[in-house]
Amino acid sequence: MSGLLEIQHLSKSFDTVQVINDFSMEVTEGTICCLVGPNGAGKTTTIDLITGRVKPTSGKILFAGNDITGQDEHVTARAGIGRKFQVPAVLRDMTVRQNLEVAYSRQTNPFTNLFTFHPSGLKQKFDEIATLAGLTHRLEEFAGNLSHGETQWLEIGMVLMQEPRLLLMDEPIAGMTEAEIEKTTSIFKDLRKSATLVVVEHDMGFVREIADVVTVMHMGSLLAQGDIAAIEADARVRDVYLGEEEEAA
Amino acid sequence: MDLGTLANALILGVSIASIWLVAALGLTVIYGTAGVINMAHGELIMLGAYSTYMLQVYLGVPYLICIPASFVIVALVGLLLERGLIRYLYNRPLDTLLATCGVSLVLMQSVRLIFGSDPKYISVPEIFSSNIALGSVSISTFRVIILAVTALLVFGLWFLFYKTRFGVQVRAVMQNKEMAASFGINAGRVYMLTFSLGAGLAGVAGSLFGVLAIVLPTMGASYVVQSFLMVVVGGGSLAGSVAASAATGEMQSVLASFTNATLARFIIFVLIVVFLRFRPQGLFAQGGVRR
Amino acid sequence: MGNIYHDKKLQWLAYAVFFAAIGIVPLFVGDAFLLNQLATYGIYAMLALSISLCWGFGGILNLGQGISFGLGAYGMAMTMQMQTQTDSNPIPPFMLNNSLEHLPWFWEPFSSTAGGLIFAVAVPTFFCAVFGSIMFRARVSGVFFTIMTLAMLSAFYTIILDQQAYTGGANGLTPPASLQIGSFEIDPYSATAYWIVFALLCVATVLAKLLTQSSFGLVTQAIRDDAERVRFLGYNVAGYETAIYTISGMIAAIAGCCWVMLVQYVSPAQLDVSLSLSMVIWAAIGGRNSLLWAMIGAFLIQGGQSYLGDQFLSTWLLLLGGFFIVVVRFLPNGLASLAEAGLGWLSARLPSKSGRAIESVTAEEGA
Repeated sequence: MSGLLEIQHLSKSFDTVQVINDFSMEVTEGTICCLVGPNGAGKTTTIDLITGRVKPTSGKILFAGNDITGQDEHVTARAGIGRKFQVPAVLRDMTVRQNLEVAYSRQTNPFTNLFTFHPSGLKQKFDEIATLAGLTHRLEEFAGNLSHGETQWLEIGMVLMQEPRLLLMDEPIAGMTEAEIEKTTSIFKDLRKSATLVVVEHDMGFVREIADVVTVMHMGSLLAQGDIAAIEADARVRDVYLGEEEEAA
Repeated sequence: MDLGTLANALILGVSIASIWLVAALGLTVIYGTAGVINMAHGELIMLGAYSTYMLQVYLGVPYLICIPASFVIVALVGLLLERGLIRYLYNRPLDTLLATCGVSLVLMQSVRLIFGSDPKYISVPEIFSSNIALGSVSISTFRVIILAVTALLVFGLWFLFYKTRFGVQVRAVMQNKEMAASFGINAGRVYMLTFSLGAGLAGVAGSLFGVLAIVLPTMGASYVVQSFLMVVVGGGSLAGSVAASAATGEMQSVLASFTNATLARFIIFVLIVVFLRFRPQGLFAQGGVRR
Repeated sequence: MGNIYHDKKLQWLAYAVFFAAIGIVPLFVGDAFLLNQLATYGIYAMLALSISLCWGFGGILNLGQGISFGLGAYGMAMTMQMQTQTDSNPIPPFMLNNSLEHLPWFWEPFSSTAGGLIFAVAVPTFFCAVFGSIMFRARVSGVFFTIMTLAMLSAFYTIILDQQAYTGGANGLTPPASLQIGSFEIDPYSATAYWIVFALLCVATVLAKLLTQSSFGLVTQAIRDDAERVRFLGYNVAGYETAIYTISGMIAAIAGCCWVMLVQYVSPAQLDVSLSLSMVIWAAIGGRNSLLWAMIGAFLIQGGQSYLGDQFLSTWLLLLGGFFIVVVRFLPNGLASLAEAGLGWLSARLPSKSGRAIESVTAEEGA
């Protein structure tokens, strides 16, 4: 099976700072790949590069065999890449219902949408996702009034409404309670049947639960890749993390 | 077009550039540091012109003293404006724009009610109304004065922002307000002073423009758009505004010698739109500017 | 939570009442001059509607709506001017005064009434589409777009003022006769003219209201909220922004055509910054997030202005400026937010029967 997402020799520098340095990775379809690494390793920048928010200096990104390097955000989104942001990004002045409806973006043409009042298939998907995200009782609430956990769920719900083939989740469980994390774990495992996930996460406990493959980044490059057991046994990874902890202490 | 005409146009261009720059300086300071879109900038220029007029007519103050005096008067108006309104609207750029539109209306109509709609004139010393010959070019002395004042102000601002303690504070606030606050810098005070400074600079521009053209309640409107274009093209920094004014001033002058001044202005506006298509962040973007 | 202000059915009812009220005006107004003046209010309402659509629902503050309005008005004036030219006398008098010997090429399409009317709306619409797509694709947004609209307005103003031989310069255009459609002459002081404006306003409002309730409207409101986020949902933000800016411009262009039909006059003053700013003030004071309230804002402010007359114009504008500042600072959604609060208070106190009715409406929408 070939990779759904292939990143080849990706580099990105801002002015003189090299943020991503010859980074390559491959994500197999139907798996959960966890992207870990110390702060400033370039994880979020990698997500930015995949989705086209930031254009790479060099290198190539293939999605389902197509070259999507440097495409605009809406193009990568239409290709089937959904993204959840590190700082939950929901439409704060709109209701939960509107947030989910707008995220149902099968039809993106402005002129067609001028004449669309009830997108086909919306209702069924809406009910499914609203229930899954546990927001059915909050539908008329403005997203800006939700609690942190609910906001996380709403954004996950929005990404799912897009029905993407590849989900990029930047710190999805930050600020969640134990019970919520458990629920996320089971949902992510479920999602694997229909989609592929790349999850950026610090919580190694969560990573251990869900990861099929763990990719470790350090200083903008690939440090190690493998299953969780191999990564935890890797001396280089331990050095990077221990070094970090010593600095912090 | 022969070389002589071109040389004329280029020299005149420097003068035009200095006029555009001095109009835009106050806006550059206010936008560049606090990110405030001040639509009342033109009316602050107008107030500068009226201040000069009043000082001259009612108090008999000599013109050269009127220039710094207008700075002080309009800076005080700016201070009141910032304390009374603008400070509540930081981080709401569209609302700031709208509120300052309202301010511009209020200032314009107040001046009209007080002074009437008829034009006022500012008199200058005899020597300023003569002409200076530069080779084949003859340029009015007053335009040279404007150039000199502009150069002085640019140097002064550069010194203020890059060589003084206050300048360090301003740049710290621009980079990161929260961080600056943790070092004991009072961001509110910095914003207040820079806004007041920018308003004062508009006052200086006003006392200069009052001589160049007639003094009217509506005179500000013609300056605000071109000043904003200088700031947007320049990217909000002092160097950016200098470069943008120099480039557009020269273009205006050279194009005008082919066609006429109005058509030249139109072409430049269209070119600016095209320029922004390819460089929306302006010539010299700076870290502190929120976009 | 069931504020009847947000009830979609009642909103449509409010619109119906509003249009019924202004639609029957000619039945009660005998004075032709007054009727003509009231008809111009319909144009102000159209402009406020266009601003509300673009700014309230699209988040795009346009301080250059005068471009669309003015170009539409010039197009109509050119059409009406050409209607009075004959084969023996093909060139408008002001051109002859400026020693033009041939009709300029861009006047040619306006020789035919149908062509002229089409171009009067198509030219400004096309301008909006081109300018909008240049700016929005470069991701120029927010205040920067506003400043660029202002710059373009100022550019058009100066060029029209300057090119006297082609545009009539500061004098503008004053077509000597009323608009003629086929053999029918539209007397600007008649109820017919009033109802033409009324019908166009009505159609524009219904379409605009439908637009805000369509998927398109949902996306533009999302863009207003957070454009960056919406890109990641797969929507081409620049396309949506260009579309709503252009639709809004088209409404303003139609308003410009109607304006000249009513007053038989156009000058660069229609492209003056102060008019474009007024449109924004109408929408802001009325309530930019509500098409209806934006129109009411236009009525209130223009009504107040003509009631006080030219004598108190400066004082009025001074007060208006002050009131505008207060609205921006304390009441971002204008008078509409007062209505919203009032109706919210009312619906909370209504007998439970209607409360249940509202719940069932929202439930129905949810279903």
